[in-house]
Amino acid sequence: MTRKLLFAVAAALLAVVAAACGSSSKSSTTHAVKTTAQKSPGADKPPIVMGDKNFPEEYVLGSLYQQALQAKGYHITLKGNIGSSEIVWKAMTSGQIQMYPEYTGVIVSVLAGNTKPPHSASQTYNEAQAYVQKHGFTLLKPTPFYDTDAMGTLKSFATKHHLHTISDLKQFGHSVTLGGAPEFATRYEGLIGLKKVYGVNPTFKPIAIALTYKALDSNQVQVADVFTTDPQLTLGKYTILSDPKNVFGFQNVAPIVKKSVIKSEGPVFEQTLNKVSALLTLDAIRKMNAAVELDKQSPSVVAHKFLAANHLT
Amino acid sequence: MIVFANGPVIPNFGGSGSTYACERANRLFCPNWVSQNWNSVLWPALRQHVVLTVIAVVIGFAISTALALLAYRRGWIERPVVIVTSILYTIPSLALFELLVGVPGLGLSRTTAEVALVSYTLLIMFRNTLTGLREVPAEVRDAATGMGMGSMRTLLRVDLPLAMPAIIAGVRIATVTVISLATVAALIDDEGLGAPILQAISNEVFKTELIVAGGMAIALALLADGLLVLLQRALTPWARVRV
Amino acid sequence: MNSFSQALDFIGRNGQIPGEPQLPTLVHLTLETVKIAWIGIGIALVIALPVGLWLGHIHRGSFVAINVGNIWRALPSLAVLAIGVAFLGLGLRNVELALIVLAVPPVITNAYVAINGVDRDVVDAARGMGFSGWQILRKVELPLGVPLIFAGIRTAALFVVSTTTIAALTGYSGSLGDIINNEASYHLSGVLGAAMCIAALALVTDLLLALVQRALTPRGVTLELHAGAHEAVGPPLAETV
Repeated sequence: MTRKLLFAVAAALLAVVAAACGSSSKSSTTHAVKTTAQKSPGADKPPIVMGDKNFPEEYVLGSLYQQALQAKGYHITLKGNIGSSEIVWKAMTSGQIQMYPEYTGVIVSVLAGNTKPPHSASQTYNEAQAYVQKHGFTLLKPTPFYDTDAMGTLKSFATKHHLHTISDLKQFGHSVTLGGAPEFATRYEGLIGLKKVYGVNPTFKPIAIALTYKALDSNQVQVADVFTTDPQLTLGKYTILSDPKNVFGFQNVAPIVKKSVIKSEGPVFEQTLNKVSALLTLDAIRKMNAAVELDKQSPSVVAHKFLAANHLT
Repeated sequence: MIVFANGPVIPNFGGSGSTYACERANRLFCPNWVSQNWNSVLWPALRQHVVLTVIAVVIGFAISTALALLAYRRGWIERPVVIVTSILYTIPSLALFELLVGVPGLGLSRTTAEVALVSYTLLIMFRNTLTGLREVPAEVRDAATGMGMGSMRTLLRVDLPLAMPAIIAGVRIATVTVISLATVAALIDDEGLGAPILQAISNEVFKTELIVAGGMAIALALLADGLLVLLQRALTPWARVRV
Repeated sequence: MNSFSQALDFIGRNGQIPGEPQLPTLVHLTLETVKIAWIGIGIALVIALPVGLWLGHIHRGSFVAINVGNIWRALPSLAVLAIGVAFLGLGLRNVELALIVLAVPPVITNAYVAINGVDRDVVDAARGMGFSGWQILRKVELPLGVPLIFAGIRTAALFVVSTTTIAALTGYSGSLGDIINNEASYHLSGVLGAAMCIAALALVTDLLLALVQRALTPRGVTLELHAGAHEAVGPPLAETV
């Protein structure tokens, strides 16, 4: 009796462990096998580890680059959701990962610690490039899309008051309410810059980021600090006021890659990543963000659909 | 190349009409999401969780058993071991994981997670094993010696079998503790059932994922606990009465 | 080791980061953590102690009292918090509920085991001396049970402090966990500094409770219970099934 029981317990434990160990190693390579039969430039190249940061847009970017490379036969592992820029950068410089997608403005302000804001996208890119080069990395080509703060309003509100750019808010003086995270009030890429550069003077109301669009819907605030790639912007309900004087800076994305990796992986590696980046328009990333953040689809599935539609799988 | 000049083809991600209505409304339970993400998210997370746990318990068991055997022979070792492992056990998991991240050579990796998880098992298994060994009646051990058994054979044939209930009780508590703490490990090593939980929080508090992943973690802990109880009974049929 | 010395600097600056003017101080966050934790422990004690003591006193309900403890050990706190968030939303209410759920069982189990295990001869002797049931509980069983009862309270307190910080991962803002969850503002040095504070807070909490326990334990019991002294540290060893 006890012997039987012992056997059953041992078998059950063994089964659980075996199921876990046996299949854990081949979990993330499902899309890779397909195109390797004929020509796979990456098949004989050394394996690479890529990281990404800790929010949904980065998960999508990580999956896009990973799957595009896997389609070319490269052996690439994705270490997802690592953390904020500083943490991921540490993982880069300590050699735990060899590449990750980063925002150009973040490289300049957070990683390099430059306090003077650059005044064009290309200047931002160049400063970012200079910084990563110094540490043995290369910044590949940037995406067309940029993910900066932006002033969002209800479309109906913008139409009614003929609002196009941020300076159009001047007409309201102090009577318009602007919502944003508490730190928005004290940052140059926030209220300070808006007052200084556009001469607008809205009433500020601190709100939680998760409640931004609800605050707009309920007219608690008429203008809110949003992000240009927010999925809610695909709904056709909201408008972004343009920022011609670039208070909110420049945040295009580009993969940072270790120089030695670019060399050892061959030219197709770099070309593939650049092809993916070139596809990422504001509209494309918003729709992918919507699929991930609103529909809760998995980032890797969304990335796969996008790459398939653009013949990159 | 020319294709790209015209901009990307943006496929329909399936968000038409009611396909993702439940997800968009963030209801408590969207079965559709669970079936779509079982193979890609939930099952791999469960598997990783089991792997994390098994590695930690096996390594922890080896270390603490070695320490307990040492302390059994040389009594003075017990105190320092208990002090160090108690402090390790007392440090909240969130803090210990982050402190280890700062240690050069560890960083954000499974190794870091395992070091922390192992450190939580030491006090439990060390103390249980040592208590179990010490509770072996002296007469029994004397009898073994009287029968001409050497000290190694006495240990293997008498002490350890008699201490088995306490040893397994330690393994059981350690296993369940590790399953619990491994969810927090996702903060520094993006795997296990904590990963979907953290992802759901960052994705506008997606309820279905929270409930399913949290429920799976609880179920795994209860299942492991139950299995180890059965193992305990099977290995030590004579010890049913012992408290 | 550089990041650890920066972490000490961070603690020395009371959690302030140059250029981020609106951050709460480290002292404030520590006090908030203590407050949240002790509300949880307090409510848990009010619920659990009477139940455990009473069950132990009447020697009934061992199945419930002990299995509650066993099931509790299996509850991952992050999972409890996560499920709570799904039903109750973010906020203090959910955190406190999770703290209570996690803190009640070890207190009940240990209080039960402590009182139930008091030597029946001693209890009978007290009864022979004309003690009422209430007097027996208060003057005999409770003092003798102090070490085990406190083992439960200390285990619970440890879990509560730990879970309070984990609550930051589930979006609750207002504890030391905030710093760990907001690396973007605080940098690695701040996160390490906060981790040190959390560790220190847990160790100090345990130490304080150990002192209270020592003060409350009658002298005779300290010696007598030495054989079972292992019960006083870490998780309860109750392994009856």
